[in-house]
Amino acid sequence: MSSPEDITRLKQLKESEALQAAWDEWIETRQLLEETSPLLDDPDPTMRSLASDEYSSLTNTLTTTVESTFPSLLVPASTTSHLSALMELKSGVGGSESSLFLAELVRMYQRLANVNRWKAEVVGQNDNEGGGTKDAILEIKGLGAYDALRWESGVHRVQRVPATESSGRVHTSTVAIVVLPLVEETDAHNEELFKMDDIKLEVMRARGAGGQHVNKTESAVRLTHIPTGITVSMQDERSQHQNRRRAFQVLRSRLMDQKITREIAERRAARTNLVRAADRSEKIRTYNFAQERVTDHRIGLTLMNLTSVLEGDGLQDFLDALRRDHYESVMEDMLESA
Amino acid sequence: MHSRLLAQLAAHIGTDQASLELRWMKQALSSGLSNATLSTMVKRRALGEPLQYILGTQPFGPLNLLTRPPVLIPRPETEHWVIKLAESMFPTAQNPRNLLDLGTGSGCIPLLLCHLWPKGSLRTHGIDISPHALRLANDNAALCGIPTHCDTDEPQNTYTTSLASFLHTSFPDNEASIKPPYDIVTSNPPYIPWDEYLELPRSVSDYEDPKALFGGPSGLDFYHAIARIVSHKNILSPNAVVALEVGYEQAEIVESLMRRTGRIHRTEIWGDPWGKQRTVVAHAHA
Repeated sequence: MSSPEDITRLKQLKESEALQAAWDEWIETRQLLEETSPLLDDPDPTMRSLASDEYSSLTNTLTTTVESTFPSLLVPASTTSHLSALMELKSGVGGSESSLFLAELVRMYQRLANVNRWKAEVVGQNDNEGGGTKDAILEIKGLGAYDALRWESGVHRVQRVPATESSGRVHTSTVAIVVLPLVEETDAHNEELFKMDDIKLEVMRARGAGGQHVNKTESAVRLTHIPTGITVSMQDERSQHQNRRRAFQVLRSRLMDQKITREIAERRAARTNLVRAADRSEKIRTYNFAQERVTDHRIGLTLMNLTSVLEGDGLQDFLDALRRDHYESVMEDMLESA
Repeated sequence: MHSRLLAQLAAHIGTDQASLELRWMKQALSSGLSNATLSTMVKRRALGEPLQYILGTQPFGPLNLLTRPPVLIPRPETEHWVIKLAESMFPTAQNPRNLLDLGTGSGCIPLLLCHLWPKGSLRTHGIDISPHALRLANDNAALCGIPTHCDTDEPQNTYTTSLASFLHTSFPDNEASIKPPYDIVTSNPPYIPWDEYLELPRSVSDYEDPKALFGGPSGLDFYHAIARIVSHKNILSPNAVVALEVGYEQAEIVESLMRRTGRIHRTEIWGDPWGKQRTVVAHAHA
């Protein structure tokens, strides 16, 4: 039988595997390079040329190891890597145009989820009478979904001529997105997130005599978490029981999000360091249809292929770049506090 | 896209409700559960037909039950108290319970308990006066995977039905299918009094079975019958629980009817999520 100490040790060993592999690769490449060097002066011109090719390829490998592999190993393992994501999208300025764009963003994330083999499901949605979606909650289930999507939080801006605009004038509209970690009902950590005594549960509409007297579907519910004032309304399911389950899921995710944010802030305060704070009212990205471009303002990355972004592939490039940027800022943070 | 249909529906049930119901209709169509068209669904709904009959299903706790006119549509109030009942008792396969459901309708009450409680911990029997109801209840049992009897080694909860009227004074003596004693008796009997029956919304009175709604002039006929059954010697096992759904002003009257049977030592009244007294729970003597 393994003791708890054994498990900790095994875990440490497992976590250091990547370190060992990188070090082994470094040593092996260095050795090959040393063996190749003398051949650069070989009398045989064919051999010299082969050696020269190999030399530059090995040098490249070493550079990559130094510039990206080693630094990436310094980034502490994510504590949220197992979590799925809950995305809340709300239309902002721009009226129905904003609602139309929101519906397109939902499809964009659904496609991205498909490519990554995550399971995407719209669990809450309020449609706009004039078309489009006023707000939506998208559940994206799968390993790493939260870590990949968390940088999508912020204000997304669209610039284009709305289909409804006859004068051909370009409008600017926005959609606000908040990405939350999805906490499953069965997750062992829920206990500490809230106490049932702190929850006020309300049904939304009056039902008169109720029971057999009424057969109208009135399944909307509202939860209030009294200590934080967080309220969650859910009306999308036909059953009150299911709306209640959904509402608790959103509440857990919001509380988990607050917990993660709090922990990050505490760590920063401890190191008396300033790292760019993720402000959710910050405009993070612009989708410009006339120029077929998408720009992420935080990392200054522009892709000249808007269609590809909306179809999910281009979006993946942004997510990868944002993840790299996050790693770099974590490293800078570590270096400054060292 | 469907703005004309939305407007048509909104004129009858309001914009917010219309947009929700239109979405549920689309979901039912896309899941292939119904072969109607969206416009016929909207037309039926605008004429006052209950959404649940149009869609053909109604969620009940984690179950998705079939609904068919004229069998009473499961209500959220019933869903609420049945879940509460499920959470207040702890039957096990070692100590299984017998349950009798009076006026079983769609079968929602025993089927949800069969689903929620551990396998092999519950044997249920439902009676109803309506052959429509029994057919639907049996279809629902099949849909939920609740068998009529346990024929494998694996323990299972079971549900059987029979045609009978519990309003008859001969009930349950002449019923071979009733096998007392019962540890649990549940019922959502017809409880609407005459004057209120006349005032019902048409989506209720024009579509749902009056025999599942109308509880006699005072609305209490069936509670008197249940009190008589409860008084019957040997129908309840010691510490049995009788859980009865009641109309919005009937809880205290039904509570005293139960107490007067002499078989009950303690009663509770449970509220529904809308603040109405909805369920009388009576505990039999040990």
